[in-house]
Amino acid sequence: MRVILLTGKGGVGKTSLALATALGAAAHGHRAFVLSTDPAHSLGDALGFPIGPQPRTVCPGVTAQEVGALEELERSWSAIQGWLRGLLHEKTDELVAEELLVFPGLEELMALRAVREVEARGEYDVCVVDCAPTGATLRMLRFPDVLRIFMENFFEIERRGARWLRPVIGRLGGSKLVPQEEFFEAFERLYREIEDVRQILLDGDRTTARLVLNPARVVVEETRRSFAYLSLYGVSTDAVIVNRELPPRAAGGWFARWAEKERLEQAEIVASFPVPILHAPLHPKELIGVESLRRLGEEVYGSLDPAAVLAAGRPVRLRKDARGTVLEIELPNASKEDVDVGVHGAELHVRVRDAQRRISLPDSLVGRTVASARLEGGVLAVIFEA
Amino acid sequence: MRLVLYTGKGGVGKTTTAAATAACAAARGRRTLIVSADAAHSLGDVLERRLGPRPEPIAPSLDALEADARAEMARHWGRVRDYLLELFRHQGIEAVVAEELALLPGAEELATLLAVEEQGREGGYDLVVVDCAPTDATLRLLTLPDVARSALRIALKLQQAVSSVINPLARALIAAPLPDAAVFKDVERLLYGRLRRLRARIASPQTTVRLVVTPERMVIDEARRAFTDLCLFDIACDAVVMNRLLPDEARQEPFFRDWARVEHERRQEVESLFAPLPVLTAPLRDDEVLGLDALRAHGQALFQRVEPDAVLGVRPRVRFTAEKGGWRVELPLPHAERAGLDVSKLHGELIIRSGARRRALSLPRRLASLSLAGARFERDLLVVRLAPAGASASRLEAGPCA
Repeated sequence: MRVILLTGKGGVGKTSLALATALGAAAHGHRAFVLSTDPAHSLGDALGFPIGPQPRTVCPGVTAQEVGALEELERSWSAIQGWLRGLLHEKTDELVAEELLVFPGLEELMALRAVREVEARGEYDVCVVDCAPTGATLRMLRFPDVLRIFMENFFEIERRGARWLRPVIGRLGGSKLVPQEEFFEAFERLYREIEDVRQILLDGDRTTARLVLNPARVVVEETRRSFAYLSLYGVSTDAVIVNRELPPRAAGGWFARWAEKERLEQAEIVASFPVPILHAPLHPKELIGVESLRRLGEEVYGSLDPAAVLAAGRPVRLRKDARGTVLEIELPNASKEDVDVGVHGAELHVRVRDAQRRISLPDSLVGRTVASARLEGGVLAVIFEA
Repeated sequence: MRLVLYTGKGGVGKTTTAAATAACAAARGRRTLIVSADAAHSLGDVLERRLGPRPEPIAPSLDALEADARAEMARHWGRVRDYLLELFRHQGIEAVVAEELALLPGAEELATLLAVEEQGREGGYDLVVVDCAPTDATLRLLTLPDVARSALRIALKLQQAVSSVINPLARALIAAPLPDAAVFKDVERLLYGRLRRLRARIASPQTTVRLVVTPERMVIDEARRAFTDLCLFDIACDAVVMNRLLPDEARQEPFFRDWARVEHERRQEVESLFAPLPVLTAPLRDDEVLGLDALRAHGQALFQRVEPDAVLGVRPRVRFTAEKGGWRVELPLPHAERAGLDVSKLHGELIIRSGARRRALSLPRRLASLSLAGARFERDLLVVRLAPAGASASRLEAGPCA
C-alpha cells in the first residue's frame, strides 16, 4: 500500500488537498483511504458531511476516517488498563481508558497505529494521511524511535524481572504490584504494531511526504525547515504543492501588489525544493464538497497519477563519523568548481553555478563551525566541528 | 501581570495578531513580552529577527522570545536529560539525533508555560502575549498542569511499584542504564512545586484567550469547537479577532465578488456564535505584515477603540449555588452537542465529557462528599444537581444527559 503524508504549515489547505489527492487516485483506479491524524479534524468540514472514528465511504473508491485516540485506546488496551486499575486501587472501579489519555504522546501513537490498520485491512492501494501541522507531524514521526528505545531498554528488563519476582512477591502478599504476563504481551503487541508503521514510513518506495504551502514569505520559511527535518528523520518528500495561487484574472487592481509578492515567493520556492512543484489556484468560491475537491485534484495533478512516487530519495541526510557531524546533500550533476557553501545563521546556503539552495540546519547544528566540505559522487558532504 | 493567549486554526494570522497586539501595547507604554509557543516558530519570521529562549529587546518596552523545550530541558531537567542522552548513546544512536529525541512529549508545552511564568514575573512585564500553536495544542497547553499532575501520579506509582524492586536486580544483570531515584526526584520537584503556580496563573481573571478567525467556513467551524472546549475547561475568552476582511477596493474586483458576499454573512455568524464577546476586525492587506512598523500599524487598526491589554469581554463561568436539598453546578457550554455529553462523579471531582474531551472539575470541599442527583443540558447550559447520598433516589438521572 502506498502512503502519502500531506503536511505543511497550518491553514495552507492540507485537508482539501488530501481529499483531492485521494479523489484523484480513485479516478486512476486506485482504492483510496483518507486518514486524518490531526486531533483538530476537519475532513468533515471540507466534505460538508460528518466523518468520524469509523471508516466511512466518501464516494466510490474513497473511504475516510478521523482517528479518535479515545476509541482506539478503549479497543485495545484492556490488559494494560487492568494492571493499572489494580495498582491504583484507590480508583478501582472507575479507572477507564480516558485516564491513560493524560499521557502526552498517546495521540501520536494512536495515529500511527491507525495507518497500520488501514494497511492490515488489505483493501486499499493508497492511504493519504491528512497530518497535523508540521510541528506535531514531526513529533509523530519521531515517536517510533522513542518507543523503540524505551522497549529495548526497559521492557525486557522489567519483563524478566517480573517473571522472577512474581512468585516471591506473591508469597509476600504484594502480587498486584507485579504486572502479569498479559500486561507485557499487550504492550509488546502494541510495540510490534508501531515498529511495523516505522518500517512503512521509512520505506521510500511506499511512503512519501507532500508539503503543501502558499506563496507567502512566512509559509515558505517554515516549509523549508520542514523539508529538511522530514529528510533528516528519514522520510522523503516527493512533491511540493503550491496552493491558492492568485490566478492571472484576479491579479489586477487592488491585488496587483499581492501578485508581485507572489512572483518573488515562487522563485524562492523553486530555489528551496529540489522536487516536482505542483500548483493549485485560488478559487472564486470556497472548495467544499466532493465535486469541488475532485476538480481541485484534476487541477493539481493534471495527467499525473496522484498515487505515483513523484520523486525518489532523501536529498538531505545527517550522520556522524570520526570527523564530526556530517550533513550530506544530494547534488547530482554538480562539479567541484561550481559549488560554493556558506552558513548564514540557521541556514546553509549552497550555490551551484547561478542557482542557490537554502537548507535549514537542524537545531543541533546551528552555531557550529563548518570544518570542511567536499563533493563526492554527486553528494556534498559538509562536516561540522564537534 | 496580564496574560493574553492567541489561538485559532492554522494560517488565520495568529502570529501577526499576537505580534501586532504586543507592538501596539508597547507603543502605548505597557512593558510587554511576546512569547511564541508554536514548536514551528514563525514569530521570528514576522518580527524579522532571530529569537531565542531568553527575552530579546525588540523596541522600547517590547521584548520577544521563542520558548525552547530543549533549552528548558537543559535548565530544569538536567538529570532527566542526561539520563535520556546516555540511554540513546547506549543504543548507538548518533548524539545529534539523540539530542532531538531527548524531548519528552509535552515538553514543548511545559517549556512555554515555564517561560511565561518565570520570564514574565522576573521581567516585571505588564502584559505577556502568547502566540499559541493551533487550537488543539493550545488546549493541551492550558490543561497541561492538570494533565501532568495525573500523569505524574500514575508514573510515580509505576516507578515505585516496579523499578524500586526490579532495578537493583536488573542493574546487576544488565549493562543498560536505568533511571534511579534521583531522576524521578527531579521530575517530581520540577513538576509538583511549579504546577501549582502554573495552574493559578491559568485560572487568574487576568488571563484570557482570544480566538482568531478568518471569514472561511472551515476556520469558523474549528473556532466554534475550540470555544466549547475552552468553556468546558473554564478558560476565559475575552474577544474574537476576525482577520482578512476584504477592503472596499478589493470587494470591487469581479473575481472576489462571491468572497465579499459570503464574508458579510460570516461576520454576522461570528458575532452571534461568540456573543457577548466583542469581535475585533482587521482588513486583508496587499502585503504581508512583516517588521515592527507594519505590526504597530496593524495593531493600531485592531485596537482603535480599546486597549490591547484590557479584558475586553466576560462570559459567565462555572457557578455553584445552594438549593433546596443540595447544590446546583452550572457550567456554560456554548455549542456543545447534547449527544456527546456525559456527567459522572468520582471522589471529589465531577467528570464531564463533551465529545472527545473530558474534564475533571474539582468540587469545593463542602460539595465533594455529595452524590450526583441529576444533570441536564439546555440552552447551552449544563446544570448538575448534587445532593447528600441517599437523599436522591435516582442515580438513574445521572449518566448521559437526557
